[in-house]
Amino acid sequence: MKSKRFKLSLILSLVLVLILSACSGSGGSGSTSNPAPAPSTQTPSTGEAPAQTPSENGLPIVSSPLKLKTWAVTDGNFRGKDYNEKVSFQKMQELTNIEIEWVMGSGANGPEAFNLLMASGQLPDMVWYSNMMSESSKYGALGAFVDLAPYIDQYAPNFKKILEENPDVARMITTPEGKIFHFPQINLDEYLHVQMFPQVRQDWLDKLGLAQPETTEDWYNVLKAFKTQDPNGNNQADEIPFVSVNLQNMMRNFGPAFGTDWEFYVKDGQVKFGPIEPEYKEALQYLNRLYSEGLIDPNYLVDTEFKFLTEKVTTDRAGAWVGWSGSYMTSFTDLMKDHPTFRIEGTVPPKGPNGTQRYGYHGWPVGNVGIAVSSQSKNIVEAVKWLDFQYSEEGILLNNFGVEGVSYDMVDGYPTFKDVVFNNPDGLSSTESLLSFTIGGGSWATIGDRRYQEQYDIEQAVEAKAKVSQYIDYSVSLPPLTFSAEQNDIIVPILADIRTFRDEYANAFVMGNRSFNDYDYFVEQIKKMGIDKVLEVYQSVYDEYMSRS
Amino acid sequence: MSIQAVNSKKPKAPGHLSKGHRRTTFREIMKNRSLYIMLIPVVLYFILFQYKPMYGAVIAFKDFNPFVGVWDSKWVGFKHFISFFESYYFWRLLRNTVLLSVLNLVFAFPAAIILALLLNEVKNQIFKRVVQSISYLPHFISLVVVCGMIIDFLQPDGIINRMITAIGLVEEPISFLILPEWFRTIFVASGIWQGVGWSSIIFLAALSGINPSLYEAAVVDGAGRWKQMLNITLPGIMPTIVILLIINIGNFMVVGYDKIILLYNPATYETADVIGSFVYRRGVLEANYSFTAAVGLFNSVINFIMLILVNQVAKKKAETSLW
Repeated sequence: MKSKRFKLSLILSLVLVLILSACSGSGGSGSTSNPAPAPSTQTPSTGEAPAQTPSENGLPIVSSPLKLKTWAVTDGNFRGKDYNEKVSFQKMQELTNIEIEWVMGSGANGPEAFNLLMASGQLPDMVWYSNMMSESSKYGALGAFVDLAPYIDQYAPNFKKILEENPDVARMITTPEGKIFHFPQINLDEYLHVQMFPQVRQDWLDKLGLAQPETTEDWYNVLKAFKTQDPNGNNQADEIPFVSVNLQNMMRNFGPAFGTDWEFYVKDGQVKFGPIEPEYKEALQYLNRLYSEGLIDPNYLVDTEFKFLTEKVTTDRAGAWVGWSGSYMTSFTDLMKDHPTFRIEGTVPPKGPNGTQRYGYHGWPVGNVGIAVSSQSKNIVEAVKWLDFQYSEEGILLNNFGVEGVSYDMVDGYPTFKDVVFNNPDGLSSTESLLSFTIGGGSWATIGDRRYQEQYDIEQAVEAKAKVSQYIDYSVSLPPLTFSAEQNDIIVPILADIRTFRDEYANAFVMGNRSFNDYDYFVEQIKKMGIDKVLEVYQSVYDEYMSRS
Repeated sequence: MSIQAVNSKKPKAPGHLSKGHRRTTFREIMKNRSLYIMLIPVVLYFILFQYKPMYGAVIAFKDFNPFVGVWDSKWVGFKHFISFFESYYFWRLLRNTVLLSVLNLVFAFPAAIILALLLNEVKNQIFKRVVQSISYLPHFISLVVVCGMIIDFLQPDGIINRMITAIGLVEEPISFLILPEWFRTIFVASGIWQGVGWSSIIFLAALSGINPSLYEAAVVDGAGRWKQMLNITLPGIMPTIVILLIINIGNFMVVGYDKIILLYNPATYETADVIGSFVYRRGVLEANYSFTAAVGLFNSVINFIMLILVNQVAKKKAETSLW
């Protein structure tokens, strides 16, 4: 009898354990069913002053240590386990008394991880995302992110000053309703507005006795020569004259030469959608010509990852591409340092048959990266103060250069990276090494420092950026716009359909799988899908944006 | 120390059958209470993890906002269903999903049966085991790796193109992965390579359950191997085949979209884009939760109908069914 009772109690306790674990499990995964706390209506009031009295520069932000959770997507170039291993964040914690607890997003790519976070409805204090510029207003309207405008007024003196001094920054991040939902990455120097630009194997050009291509015809001739004249000298026609990982990359480079762009641009004050304009057809026909003669990587739709492009460059097969200065030029030059002649140079954007020459792949004073504050956070004021610190003189230096004496030295007022950064003793690439000391001014809610990028760039990149930046036309490129929730409801589903359709057809046109006789159908179908409604919204937001200048 | 040991100590309770039915049930439960207690976790599992999440399907009829929760999101009726049915892609998605499923049923499902029958006829045990092991192996490779291999093999300078150009089948290498007309072949053929060995296991198990005396009798009656297979082996595993067919058809509209996502690109959307991959793009990449919930619900309803239909047909025609 005794043993039976024992067995029964054992079974009962087992069941209890199972029930308990099942319940706690559902609490985590089934969170969508629990109504999330209503969006915080808490606004700063003067009565809510922080308990401690900070010193003059506002540091430390809190008198007793505080932890703030920040969501981030894993960065492939960072070799450590936790961003707190970066000396810049360690120093920041010392100064502010706020420790960042990193919540790393799961999933292979950024948008996937970000959307899963948002779908869960449970946010940490801060969310750092590479495309916050286009997402923050949407989720702000849903009540996920707190409207920072009143907090900035009161608790963010550094950021407020930037907004006052740079009206462009202010109007780009303010929604039509006058709300601000994130702290953006800011580039005030035009040098930093040059993003991806055309790059070519200069040693191949020299070997074949060719000048750098300037017009679209030059490009054709140069690529043709790369294809047929064996510039890598291995007696095989294995050269891939122009490599790319997608069509967008090529269209943003060659499209402007024909007076169009990959998606939206402005012509005489009117917002245009490239694919339905006749110029787009010309640009695609040009690319089709390159593709059909084998001048564009025939596999560009399959080899869509950067590593494939890297492989083609480092096996001495790729002749030209459109890329960044750091991750492309500097890295490739590093990887090919044993090659006897390897040399990349940047070229000017191609000039079209009608003489149009414009650099369309540029950035704006406000980058896409940003950090938003969750409206569920209990420490909104502290988070805002901590984020404001990122824009202080000290914060900017920390985020761009790391800690003085560790990763850089001040030489005549110029923060100069120490040898340990760019000639890393552990054999890290310059990108990996740099990122072990600092977060980088271009990928964080701070101000990007030109001196950071200048030291990271190789000499040819510095030259190229000076050349390319002359061709930026801010009146043709569409500035980053923020939409209201209702406007997003209209444009998001329509654009999703149109983009799938455009991707399919535009690629088929380039690859010759579809005849250009179908182009009229292509345009008609995009119109049927409702592009006019989208353009209407874009036009009204653009007009409103321009009126705010 | 087993359950039977517990039960055996209990005296049988005859003579209570005449009393009320309720009473009997209660006694029945009390008698086997330890069994019922052990059932609780399973029932809880189904309620918490299988049925409770179904409640989330209501977002198909709402404009879901994760920050106010499922219940407080706005009702919009059939808006999302209508926009899916009216979508430019609706018919294409349906066509691709159905076609890939049908092709899988027509080619992949019999392939496993044929492999099992062939293996059953092999007398050399060593050869049989080697073939079995080799055919199982691809099943254990991660899908991402399998797709990486498929992509590598099918590149213009990949092994397949080298082979077919070397033997003069084609002049120029074929860019398999960017030609929509090749996608279905690649998908189904690689699916067979991946799964045929693994799926044949269950048929082999069924084969070993056939009474050997039937074969002996057939031999006495002068039946050859072919006749034996047709008249003994196939009927012997027919119930297994029917049940598996029903289960497969229950997943009719669930084409392995993860594999499709790894293999397709804009150039092959025409034949490759299925409901599952569309839901992934719209839901996870573009965050249209309500719309994709509607699409997913539509998909499930079709699956449910198919399952019931096939089960009814099987019940009538093959006298085997799930319920």
